[in-house]
Amino acid sequence: MTNHDTTNHEPHAHGHPVVSWQIQLGVLLVLLFFTFTTVLFYNAENWIETAFQIHLPWWVNVIGAMSIATVKAILVCMFFMGLKYDKALNTFAMLFCLFCVALFLGFSMIDLDTRDRVDTWKKGEIVLGGTGKGLNTPSIDPAFDSTLSPTINTKGLSIVEFNRQQKIEQKGSEKAYWKYHYKKHPDHRHPADTNNYFATLGYDHQINLPDANKAVPRTGLTPGLFHATDPTTDPTTDPTAQADQDANASTKAKSDDTGKDHES
Amino acid sequence: MQTTLDADTTPAPAHIANHPTHWRNRGFAAHWRTRDDDFDASKFGMWLFLTTEVLLFAGIFCAYAVFRMLYPEAWANGSHHLDWRFGALNTVVLLISSWTAASAVRCAQLNKQKWLKINLIITLICAAAFLFIKFKFEYIPKLSEGKGPGAFFTYAFAEDPYEVLWWSLYYMGTGLHALHVVIGASLLGWVLYRSWKYQAYGPSEYLMVENSALYWHLVDLVWIFLFPLLYLIH
Repeated sequence: MTNHDTTNHEPHAHGHPVVSWQIQLGVLLVLLFFTFTTVLFYNAENWIETAFQIHLPWWVNVIGAMSIATVKAILVCMFFMGLKYDKALNTFAMLFCLFCVALFLGFSMIDLDTRDRVDTWKKGEIVLGGTGKGLNTPSIDPAFDSTLSPTINTKGLSIVEFNRQQKIEQKGSEKAYWKYHYKKHPDHRHPADTNNYFATLGYDHQINLPDANKAVPRTGLTPGLFHATDPTTDPTTDPTAQADQDANASTKAKSDDTGKDHES
Repeated sequence: MQTTLDADTTPAPAHIANHPTHWRNRGFAAHWRTRDDDFDASKFGMWLFLTTEVLLFAGIFCAYAVFRMLYPEAWANGSHHLDWRFGALNTVVLLISSWTAASAVRCAQLNKQKWLKINLIITLICAAAFLFIKFKFEYIPKLSEGKGPGAFFTYAFAEDPYEVLWWSLYYMGTGLHALHVVIGASLLGWVLYRSWKYQAYGPSEYLMVENSALYWHLVDLVWIFLFPLLYLIH
């Protein structure tokens, strides 16, 4: 207490503002209401997409959730943190900070979105981010390499398909499996669902599943810069591959299962 | 509008009122002209600190935006593995705790010592509930399924090779936030201890309550954005 003057008891001339409990309770109720709203919005959106078999634009989801979050954040700052009744300097500090955050986010997005528009001579210097590896190197983890998993013998099947087959075996029949699948993922639309949906209608329609074993970065960091194609799904892009396939289809099918197809 | 001048004037019991830590006996640092200067400067310092905290989390949010732009399928898949109900429950828990923290400041300003303590206790219970829900229903089940961050990712049935990035970001964002919950709860626990033992906070001396509550509100603010980003956006 040596540097505290405990005898200094000058009375307060004005006093600090005190937010009334009615306002605090009201703000809490509004915040809970907005939480309910954002959850309702999310579920309504899922329901609409499932019930009417349509795809809402991606921004509906993002704009809806983030605008409600922003309103909630403003309410917390103004009333709970007391910026409304406080010195303007505190508000200014926080606003300046948010301006800096906007710069971070904005320039990162601009950079990513325009990398395919830089001068040709600079393109060669652009490397992949994320994992720090290029298109020609294997994926981030050996578990996702196109070679067969060392720990699980999938008998030549991809690991996703292997899992599905195991589940079908476990559930007894394919019908029982789909019943289980729909129950487990009521609002998780999967290309497999679509295939099954077409199959029940009698169409012989197959959509290629995204597959952990075959998945390679198709476009890399820079959309449109690399013309990376997966020959297992699109043989027409390479005329020699097409010719090979015509000449010897069985060999090609075999290489699809085991070969490394990281081409850029 | 009420001010701290309208505070309850009930005197404390003698053994507390005479203690040097009781709020009426507390002075302010000698280099300030008035108590208000001390208060305003300290509070502004807290706000400056909060801006650095916002910038810390901005790194996480920026990484989220970049990776979501690069690997939208991985992000959609990852977000489907989270249950919005636990996120929403934790949002409600944190909002209520934020309200009680704001009420605690109000009680300190008006010298309502009993309700100051009650509000702080509810806030601490909410903090514990938040962490319990987070670990019991989210971290532990997901880690046991192999949905871990980075090198700990052993989930064999991922549908996208970049899903591991989603989990790394999920654990970094929520883990950093959980750390802030622990720190904020510790600060509020310290405030509770001192108000319980000494009635250390009152109308002219509530800076520590105010700053701890500000920190707690920041924890709430971060979660207000983490919740939709991780659970609702796909």
